[in-house]
Formats: sequence, C-alpha cells, structure tokens
Amino acid sequence: MGMFRDNPVLSRELLVNLRSHRAFILQFAYAGILAVAVLVAWPRVDDGRLGASVTAARQLFDLFFFGQFILVALVAPTFAAGSITGEKERKTYELLLASPLKPSWILIGKLLSSLTYLVLLLASSLPMMILGYLLGGILLSEVARAYLVLILAAGTFGLVSLAASSYFRRTSSALVVSYLIILPLVIVSLYLASTEDITLRNFVSVTLLPPWTIAVWSIVIGLINLRLLRPPDVGSEGKEVVDEEEEQKYAIGVVIDRDLFPDKLFAPAKRTDLMPDGTNPVLDKELRSEIFSQGTLMLRVVIQVSMFLSIPLMAGFLFWRPMPGWYICYVLTFNLLVGPVFSSGSITQERERQTINLLLTTLLTPGRIVRAKLLAALRVSTVLTLLLTEQVILAYALVRDLQLQFWTIIPFFLIILVTCLMTSSIGLLWSSLVRKTSVAMIATYMSLMALFVLPVGLYRWSLSVAQGVSDEVLRWILVPSPYAAAMSVLIVGDRPTNMGGDVQPIERPLAWAGVPIWVISIGLFLVISLVCHVVTLIAFRYRWWRARESV
Amino acid sequence: MIEVIDFTKQYGDFMAVDGLNLSIAEGEIYGFIGPNGAGKSTTIRFLATLLRPTSGEGRIAGHSVTQDPMAVRRVIGFMPDDFGVYDGMKVWEFLDFFAVAYEIPRLERRRTIGEVLELLDLTHKRDDFVNGLSKGMKQRLCLAKTLVHNPPVLILDEPASGLDPRARLEMKSLLSELSRMGKTILVSSHILSELADFCTSIGVIERGKLLASGSIQEIQRELRAHRVLKVRLLNESPERFAHVLKEHSAVKAESVNTIDRTLSAEFEGDGSAQADLLRRLIDSGAIVEAFDEEQLSLEDVFMMITKGVVN
Ligand SMILES: Nc1ncnc2c1ncn2[C@@H]1O[C@H](COP(=O)(O)OP(=O)(O)OP(=O)(O)O)[C@@H](O)[C@H]1O
Ligand SMILES: [Mg+2]
Repeated sequence: MGMFRDNPVLSRELLVNLRSHRAFILQFAYAGILAVAVLVAWPRVDDGRLGASVTAARQLFDLFFFGQFILVALVAPTFAAGSITGEKERKTYELLLASPLKPSWILIGKLLSSLTYLVLLLASSLPMMILGYLLGGILLSEVARAYLVLILAAGTFGLVSLAASSYFRRTSSALVVSYLIILPLVIVSLYLASTEDITLRNFVSVTLLPPWTIAVWSIVIGLINLRLLRPPDVGSEGKEVVDEEEEQKYAIGVVIDRDLFPDKLFAPAKRTDLMPDGTNPVLDKELRSEIFSQGTLMLRVVIQVSMFLSIPLMAGFLFWRPMPGWYICYVLTFNLLVGPVFSSGSITQERERQTINLLLTTLLTPGRIVRAKLLAALRVSTVLTLLLTEQVILAYALVRDLQLQFWTIIPFFLIILVTCLMTSSIGLLWSSLVRKTSVAMIATYMSLMALFVLPVGLYRWSLSVAQGVSDEVLRWILVPSPYAAAMSVLIVGDRPTNMGGDVQPIERPLAWAGVPIWVISIGLFLVISLVCHVVTLIAFRYRWWRARESV
Repeated sequence: MIEVIDFTKQYGDFMAVDGLNLSIAEGEIYGFIGPNGAGKSTTIRFLATLLRPTSGEGRIAGHSVTQDPMAVRRVIGFMPDDFGVYDGMKVWEFLDFFAVAYEIPRLERRRTIGEVLELLDLTHKRDDFVNGLSKGMKQRLCLAKTLVHNPPVLILDEPASGLDPRARLEMKSLLSELSRMGKTILVSSHILSELADFCTSIGVIERGKLLASGSIQEIQRELRAHRVLKVRLLNESPERFAHVLKEHSAVKAESVNTIDRTLSAEFEGDGSAQADLLRRLIDSGAIVEAFDEEQLSLEDVFMMITKGVVN
C-alpha cells in the first residue's frame, strides 16, 4: 500500500492536476451536460403510453454508456500520453530515473494520477445513471457492468498511452500512436456493446473482458517497466541525437526510405548541399529535418497500424459491399488523428526549443513563416492520408458497381483533400494561440472531434426533439462534419437490407440549397481553413511583438 | 550607431526598464553590465526588435527599431541569452538555414559559411548534428549564426555564459577581432572581468536604471573624487604620520595598516594636491617607499556605482 500512500510521483501529480480550477470547471460542466441530457429525455417519460419511460431509460442509459466510453477513449490518452514524455520535454526525466524510486512506483504513480481525474468524471455521472435506473427498465447489474467496462477501458487506454509515452520522446508522437492503437479497440468494443443479444453482451463484458484485460495490462506493464529500467542513452542536456540511418537498420516492418516513392513525397531526401536561392528555408527545414528529428518510430508505427486496419475495412466496405463512404470515413479518421501531429506543434515547438527568437530576428516575415509551416504540415499529413486511398482507386477499378459510377470518386477525393487542409489549419491555429505543444495538440483534437462527431450527435438528438421540422432542414446540422459529407455522396448499389432503399436519407439534397451535404461541406471547410489561416497570422504577428512576454 | 532614447518597459506594475538612454558610437565595444534581473536582456531584446516598448525609441544605424524593424534586422546580428537549436540538422545546414533566411545568395553563402566556421573554429564540426554539440559549441554556433549575414552591428546577450575559462578567453579575443573588423558590438554580462579588458565603453544598469555610462576611463575619472591613495612607509610605527594626512585639506578620511606599514587616504584633490601631500609627508620625516593611487578594478567601480556612491 506504501506504493500508493507514500508515492511522491503520485502525490505531486495529483496536486498539480487537481489543484487547477480548470479541473473543477470541467467537472461541473460535465455534470451539467449530463443533467441536461436527462432533463431532455425526461418529459417524454409521461407521454401516457406504458413502457415509454422504459424506452426513455434505455435510450438514456445507452447514451450515457456510449458517450462515456468515447469520453474515456478521448480523455485517457490526453492525460497519460504526456505523463512520461512531459518529463522528457521538461528535462526532468533523468532526475526521475536517477532517483531511488522503483520503475514500478513511477509507473503506478503516473497511471493513477492520469486516471484519477477521469474516474472522478465517471463518478460524477453516477447520480444521473441512478436517475435513469429509477425510470425502470434497467437492471442494477447492468449499471454495475457498464461501470466495470468503463473502468477496464480507462485502465487499458491509460496503460497503452503510458506505454507510448515511455517509448516516445514527444507528447505529440505518444498521443497520436495511443489514439491509433485505441481506435480499433473502440470500434470493436462499441460494435460488441451495441448488439441486442443480451447473453452475448453478458458473456463478453463479464466473462471474456476482465481476464483478457488483466492479461493485456500485465504485458503492457511489463513493457513499460522494461523501458523505464533500461532507458535509451541520452546525449548532452538529456537530448537524444537521432541517427536516422542507424535507426532504420534496427527497424521492424516498414522502413522509410527518403529516396523512394512514395516516402519521398512526405520526407524529401536530406540536402547534401546548400539550398538554392529563393527557397523558403522554413519549409525546407520542416520537411527535411523536423519530421524525422524525433526518429522514424512514430511514423512507422502510424503507417503500419493504419495499413493493418485498412485491410478489413477495405474488404468490407469496398469489395464485399460497395459502400465507399464508410471506408472514406476511416480515411478521414486517420487524417483526424495524424493531421494535428504535424501542425499543432509547429509554432509552439519553436517556442519550447527557444529557437523562435533566432527565427524572428531574421528577415523572414510572419506570413512566410506561417505559410511554410502550413504547407509542410499539410504536405506530410495529406500524403500519409492519401496512402490509404490507393485501395479506393483499386476498388473503383475492379468493382463493377463502382465502375458504373466512377464520377463519385471525385467528391470523395475532394472531401479528403479539403479535410486535410482543414485539420492542418486548425492545428496551426492552436499552435499559434497557446504556448505548449501538448496543449495545442489536445485543443486541436478536441476541436476536430467536435467538428467531426458533434454534428452527427446533434442531428440524431434533434430528430427526436424537433419533430415538426423536416429532415431536409435538419440535415443542415450535419454540414460541418466530414463524416456526414462522405456519407452524403450518392452511391447506388447492392446494400445490406437493414439500410433500406436505394437512396439514403443522408444522400438527399438539403433544403434551400438543393444540393447534397458534401457540396456545402467542401465550401465550409475551405472557409474554415481560410479563417484559421488569417487568425493564425494575426495571432503570430501579435505574439511576435510580445515574444518575451509570452515565454 | 546604436541609440536608445527613453526606453521604458513595464510588466504590469513592475518597471523592468525605466527611462533608459544610451548612445553607442560606431566601432565601439560597449559592455552592458548589471546584476541579475537588472533589465539587460529586456533592453537588448528591445533593440533586437523582439519587444514592444511601453514607451521610448531606439535607433540602429539610423533605422527606427519600432518603425522599421526589417531594416534593423538587416544590420544587426543578434544572439539571445538563451536559445535552442533545431533537431535533426547538421551544423552547416543550420548556418545555411539562417543564411537563406537573411536572403544571402547561394554563391556568397558558400563562402561565408566556410569563413564563419573557420573564424569560430567549428570547421571540424561541420557535419555534426547541432543537437549533439556541447553547450560551449552551441554558443559558438549561435555566434556563427549572427555573423552569416555580415552585419555591422552585433548585439550579444551574455555570449560567454556557460563557457569554460579557456573558451571565455577565446570569446574575448574573438570579439576584439570582430571589433577590428569594424563592427559595433553591444555585449552584456554580469561578470565584469569579462568585459574589462576589451570594452571601449561600459554602461551599468541596475533595477532598470542606467547608473553610469561612458568609456571606462571616463567612469573612473568620475570616480576620481573617491580615489584612494596608498602610502607605504619604511618607518617603524607609521601611525605617527597619520596626522599629516588628517591635517591635509584634500583628505576626507584615512586609515593605517601597521602590519604592512601603509597609510591609506580617501582623497579628493587634483594632481598638485597629491604632490603637496607627498611633500608634507617627506618633510615630516616619513621614508616613503611607495606612493600610489589604488587601482580601481572594474569590480570596485561596479560595487561603488551600485552602492550609490556615484550619481
Ligand atoms: N515577461 C515578463 N513578465 C514580467 N516580468 C518580466 C518579464 N520579463 C522580464 N521581467 C522582469 O524584468 C526584469 C529584467 O529582466 P531582464 O531579463 O532584462 O534581466 P537581465 O538583466 O537580463 O538579468 P540576467 O542577468 O539574469 O539575465 C526582471 O526583474 C524580470 O523579472
Ligand atoms: Mg539576461
């Protein structure tokens, strides 16, 4: 028990995390949102029909469970993925390792401190859950099981992120890799949890899940321990000097070769001679030096995991049933995950590494600097994202249903490209607004999640609330979401029966505009990108004068 | 060449720099000294166009720091007190990056980069990663960076911090060398001995106020009023002669050290008064072995100035 009570890592982190006002404000906001959700569901309870309250309770319960599951998946990494990389970035990592603290203590301290807040959040939903339970129709055991699954998920996601944090040098790398590993776990769990088959649900959540989770935990804990016990060598000032060639030699799986297609698209070869005149030095530097400065590990993991995931999705959505919209949603999700990595750190890192003063006293104008940063981030994230689209092209070439509507590939690619632009622009915007990369990164993820998912949630919710309004009007809510844009591209063909007729509601034109969602979305994304860029420029110019005040 | 007019910088209620005036002529090496937190970096960052002043103006080579920062950047080489380097870049790439950022054509870049590497003795590190350099090496690399566009004015914030004694010496001779090449240099430090032997002028700043500014000789002359004369006697019991000092009108205070048989006097007179004192001592039978003005080290000047003895 001493491990918990007298653990200096744990107590320090808890103090820092929980002392901030932000933590409490968030907690209140969260409880508030839950309360609103309950209130909205409540009136429908006494609309006279028997069993209506039971349906309402079930809906509420599902909403809470799925919402919180997604919340756990989103929030656990934001705390845990930075917990060890943060020490590295602050150069306190060596102090920690050199202390007599056992690695397992550090690990437990970091894990518990990153999850405490999340568990507090979950706990604050308990009263609302109970309220839902009082409506009837739900068993207490179901509530207990829901919380068991949530806690197991929090632990698993936290540990995965902690492992990433111990293997990477930057929070941004750790965060994106954690999200990528968690993504398939979330998809599978949500799929299993949404089945109507009660026995299957029970079997999975009570019999299958706990032992497997514990097994995974022990493996991951072992890995982290190993990493903490034998940290890699660090050079002067605690920085590792990455030798790319050396690293490639020991790489497992994909090897990135700057000289080969398509790698050279996002990672042009290093220069062997001076830059030609007229080069934008910032752009050149970003593409040739910065991307790999932290080693190729992160990129290799990202590429491998995304390719691995794309195989079943491709088989399912492109070849088995030609529903490319779903596959495009996966491509967009990938961009949502990797886009911020290359953009949200690009200004804050200059600040953190104290190179910003050197940069700002040169003749480079803020406009050129910001443009170069955007182009570099955009290029890397777009090329990586497009790597996943060769499957789409293949499908359009081979699948007859798609061949017949070959023109639909155009909106899909437009949506992907414009989304790439938007994710990078939003990342860069946050990078110019805040001081720390980790903050910029998390803010970017949150904004993008809001943009991608929130409209879908709002739309579904409005369907039940605003019953007098026609669907053509309500679907305007979906416009900001790239997912909705992708799903709104009309594809006719062999669909699974539960999806209904040939033209889906989401594919029908919007009210007033008379065009489907994606047309408006593309325009909106361009506008958002432009606005972000302008605000970034203003913020950067402003900071440029206040450089000292913001250090 | 460098001019600061009533520069004031306020952080909230706190006056970091308060009405600072400064003027540095072309070709000078100006030492800017002051204790920690005095406002050196604040002033320097203002001159480097990185900081908006609360009020006041600065001019470098005739260009206004606030109105025309781009022109100022062209003529200055700036080295901040703390700086970092980019990851994954080699020494030559780092210098090339900044050379391009200063819009230097490629042909000229090739030559200049070689030259500054040579000048800073980094040629053998050309192909090393900047991140792997030691602190002192990085310091030199940053100085090399300030030189790539051959600016006539150098603004260096504590260039020698973190260097070993040998490297400090090298840094000094390097700055003297640069000064011989005709550059105007503003260099800050809180270690005075670092600046003493090669600065042509110094300015002393404390708590945001410039306490003294001028050539080292000038400042010492200002301190003349407080110079200390040391008289070493061969006589036994030198205290017998203390009254001679006491009776002299130019002596403000005196003290006797019987062990090394010296009398010291705080003296406020000109050369002839000094000769007169010597004559009187000899007349009264003192056997004077040495009669000298105590050399004020820069440290003493600094202590006296910051104690408020002067101004
Ligand atoms: N952004 C800021 N906000 C508030 N106060 C500041 C800020 N920057 C500097 N100061 C204050 O202004 C004063 C002058 O700071 P400055 O960095 O110019 O000192 P310095 O002479 O360079 O000291 P050092 O020898 O330690 O480098 C200090 O007291 C410092 O605390
Ligand atoms: Mg300073």
